[in-house]
Amino acid sequence: MSRVPTAELSRYLLTGQVSRRGCLYARNPRIAVCTLLRPTRQTRNVSSHAATSTKLPPSVIASAGNPLRKQLKDEAKALKASGKKKKKNANNQTVPGWELTVGIEIHAQLNTARKLFSAAATSFNDPPNSHVALFDVAMPGSQPLFQPETLIPAVRAALALNCAIQPVSRFDRKHYFHWDQPAGYQITQYYHPFARDGRVVLRARDGIAPEDGDRVEIDIKQVQMEQDTAKTTAQPGNVHWLDFNRVGLPLIEIITQPQIHHPATAAAFVRKVQMLLSSVDACVSGMEAGGLRADVNVSVRRAEDVGTGRLGTRTEIKNLSSFKAVEDAIIAERDRQIAVLETGGMVEGETRGWSLGSTETRRLRGKEGEVDYRYMPDPDLGPVVIGEDLVAHLASSMGMLPDAEIDELVETYGLSSKDSLSLMMLDDGARIQYFYNVLEELETRLGLSEGSDQRHALLAANWCLHELGKLTELPSDLDMTPDGECRVPSGDLAAILSHLHKREITARVAKDLLWGVFRGEISAGGVAQAIEAGSLWFQEISEQDYAKLADAVVQGEDKVLGEFLRFKQGKAKAYPHGKLMFLVGKMMRAGPEQRMDPASAERVLRARIEGVYLPALEGS
Amino acid sequence: PSEKEKEEEPTKITPQTLSHLLRLSALPEPSTPAESSAMLQTLHAQLHFVRDIQRVDTTGVEPLSSIRDETPEGIREATVALATLQHALAEEEVYGRCKRPRRMRSKGTGGGAVRKVEEGVEDWDVLGCAAETVGRYFVVRSG
Repeated sequence: MSRVPTAELSRYLLTGQVSRRGCLYARNPRIAVCTLLRPTRQTRNVSSHAATSTKLPPSVIASAGNPLRKQLKDEAKALKASGKKKKKNANNQTVPGWELTVGIEIHAQLNTARKLFSAAATSFNDPPNSHVALFDVAMPGSQPLFQPETLIPAVRAALALNCAIQPVSRFDRKHYFHWDQPAGYQITQYYHPFARDGRVVLRARDGIAPEDGDRVEIDIKQVQMEQDTAKTTAQPGNVHWLDFNRVGLPLIEIITQPQIHHPATAAAFVRKVQMLLSSVDACVSGMEAGGLRADVNVSVRRAEDVGTGRLGTRTEIKNLSSFKAVEDAIIAERDRQIAVLETGGMVEGETRGWSLGSTETRRLRGKEGEVDYRYMPDPDLGPVVIGEDLVAHLASSMGMLPDAEIDELVETYGLSSKDSLSLMMLDDGARIQYFYNVLEELETRLGLSEGSDQRHALLAANWCLHELGKLTELPSDLDMTPDGECRVPSGDLAAILSHLHKREITARVAKDLLWGVFRGEISAGGVAQAIEAGSLWFQEISEQDYAKLADAVVQGEDKVLGEFLRFKQGKAKAYPHGKLMFLVGKMMRAGPEQRMDPASAERVLRARIEGVYLPALEGS
Repeated sequence: PSEKEKEEEPTKITPQTLSHLLRLSALPEPSTPAESSAMLQTLHAQLHFVRDIQRVDTTGVEPLSSIRDETPEGIREATVALATLQHALAEEEVYGRCKRPRRMRSKGTGGGAVRKVEEGVEDWDVLGCAAETVGRYFVVRSG
């Protein structure tokens, strides 16, 4: 195959245009030629300039010699500057003229040793039907036996949601037939739940919609205890395999008031509730593991109807298995309901489902198929009477909750709330324990007292978040234990960071040491030895050497110095920081890099520019 | 008296309502019209009995949900207090800088080892009454 000319190749790659030399089009202009490559986002600017002409746009011609990467970067910059780049989810949260109302029901599996009404053990992936009591499969004659230990995580969950614990609550039966419910009814708390009137506060850092401002409070109507159902595995040919290990597992259902008005806020709410439940040890498996499920109720009404206080007909969406699914399903359902109402139709109160990758919810059950649950108090069970002393003890022993922890990290250590949240979420809360371990060790080594400046904390946080993350493909490969230890012992990382903080080693050396510790080449506690053995101590060159390097680098850079002169003379608005760093980079490459600190080089260069080069330039 | 009787005139249960009620309880539909009318007759008699009982004045009386000891001692016995759960709380540990309590995970979970079967609770032939099984699963057919 003959070699394709570079200009033609770059034209094809960047604009999707193929040379028509020798094509039928040249002979017969009526035959349309379609562009082979759909313009990507980066090249949209270029092709929009090209329009329908076959002439090469000037930018492509001019940059035929430039590297492709620089080309694409410049185009992206130009596109961003022109404002044409579409921001993700920019207008997804509201539809003008309509108000969305969402209520959420969350079911969370409680972290208990035993089930709710039988002494069978809770399990996750044990062999099927190995933890089943007689009552779990509704053997005739079996009776429920309430297990009071289930109240510990239940009450903690309700307290974390700021609910009022009801001293007396009762159990009711919710009747419906399904093969995963052997008794023919589910025991729940319909009339008298054990907790009411809670509140969850969401802040901007929790990921609420920008339209909701700085913070939004969602009221919780009630929290109730109920049973879980069996696990069904569908097999081909309408066959289902049942595992009753999960029947009777304690769940709590959290029902909110319909106060959420934006899809992102709804997803943020579910995320926040999962974090709160996990931090009080009430529910330790998340949405991905199936331990937490959310059903949402969606309704819309016109903006002018907001004052009447009446909400539109609501539909319920079930089978939501991730936070993104919550947001996407609400947006899809809202758009569907608005479309129905705008064409003059009526929204039916039905149950709908959502699957990953769908664009619209699908109907599961209409109003005619609505089940009549015939709630009735369960006569086999007595009331649940929760002692005040128990509630007081649980309330006082919850420890610091996530919001308080993030506030402390931000205020005491100066971390950004985004970094704090990331630290807390990684490795199921283990990464932040690791960070605390590293920080404690670091503070001991540096001999710092409280109240001193917290730069070391920021250094530790950056390394625990980003540098540690660079070591492995998946975070789980770090083998982080819940107590905060991993393949990089916290003591060793603290040693590396203390040397780095004291400027005894450079950042590059520190990163290499981290690799060494991770790969086991440096044994535990052997960081200082390794530095000694490799002669890695930072022996900075003197100020005079920096000055000499600066002089050497500035040779022939009169044009660049001109920029600094223009700033000094007031002709330019901003200090040419980019040009300064360019010169610093030249210095680093020119000199013994392992003995130079970029910050010192910058300082010396800046001083010499002010003091030596510019006066020389002005004088000449 | 005739007006009072008219007020108490009950709404008739139609065969459609009867079908609905039977479906809710997973009971078979009546096979002949005679069976249907016999069921309806019984149902009406029962409803008449219920209406009669509902005439009793129960203002201020809490409905009975289950027969329990409602004396103060009985309620005290049923109360789940701190003392009742002391043993479960003792199995917890406090971890981390935020001093959060957490249930100690037994060695069985997550390590692949199966937890010991609870004596007297789980040690019975669970699959014995199943009509159809596959391995350790119950089999149900739908459709």
